[in-house]
Amino acid sequence: MSIAPTPVVVDRPDQDETVAPDIPWIVLVWNDPINLMSYVTFVFQKLFGYSIEKATELMLDVHEKGRAVVSNGTREKAELDVFRLHEHGLWATMQRDDA
Amino acid sequence: MMGRKPRPPIERDGDGYRFNLDREERSLVHRLMSEMRALLQEPDADSADGQAIDPRLKRIFPTAYHQAGDQELDQEYQRLMREEILTSRLKGLDAVDEFMNAASGDRANATEAQMMAFLQALNGVRLVLGTMLDVDEQHDVGDVPDDHPNAGEYNLYDFLSWLLDWSVRAVQG
Repeated sequence: MSIAPTPVVVDRPDQDETVAPDIPWIVLVWNDPINLMSYVTFVFQKLFGYSIEKATELMLDVHEKGRAVVSNGTREKAELDVFRLHEHGLWATMQRDDA
Repeated sequence: MMGRKPRPPIERDGDGYRFNLDREERSLVHRLMSEMRALLQEPDADSADGQAIDPRLKRIFPTAYHQAGDQELDQEYQRLMREEILTSRLKGLDAVDEFMNAASGDRANATEAQMMAFLQALNGVRLVLGTMLDVDEQHDVGDVPDDHPNAGEYNLYDFLSWLLDWSVRAVQG
């Protein structure tokens, strides 16, 4: 009689972001003296689908506080958002979400 | 601007947009965009970390990873994405050329996609000009005296700001 091999339990982390949100990066937009307030609001609406109210609030945050977090997610997602913001001429950077 | 007709310079027209700029204004904008194309295609002496050296290009291809320990990630970003941003900018300029070249008299018409390209291109030109002039937060339309050595450039910058603001209104309206 032989002993059946112990089944190997693979500990696979849940990939579904709605169950296990993996949010290690944030995307920041920085205030700059050139970009128009109206244009920045428009870009937030266009890229992130925000309402004009939400986009304006975010734009004012950038303008008054010097920067605002506009999106977050995996590094890949953050990098894509930064790219799209750069494509539109906004001053965007990303960093790990240490908060 | 004195004597400007009350009609907005850019307005929505059915599924697209109508530009109410006269031939001179339109060719000025178009010429600036051609200069932008030339600048984008100019070889830039990149620094060792892949960052642009020319401040105008640095503004078009900015840093993505700003934290001290992330230089390698940023080099990778510059290596991969700079080309993508360049391609996207050039494609946008092509789309603007398309409707600008089809314009006649005081009228030009743009589709939704061409208008989006126009907004991005116009903003790009403003970024470059604003970087060259080193404009600050305090700059306001018309606050540069006529005898300022860069009065012409400031006037141009203010004209582009006015046009971009109207363009945004047209797409949001």
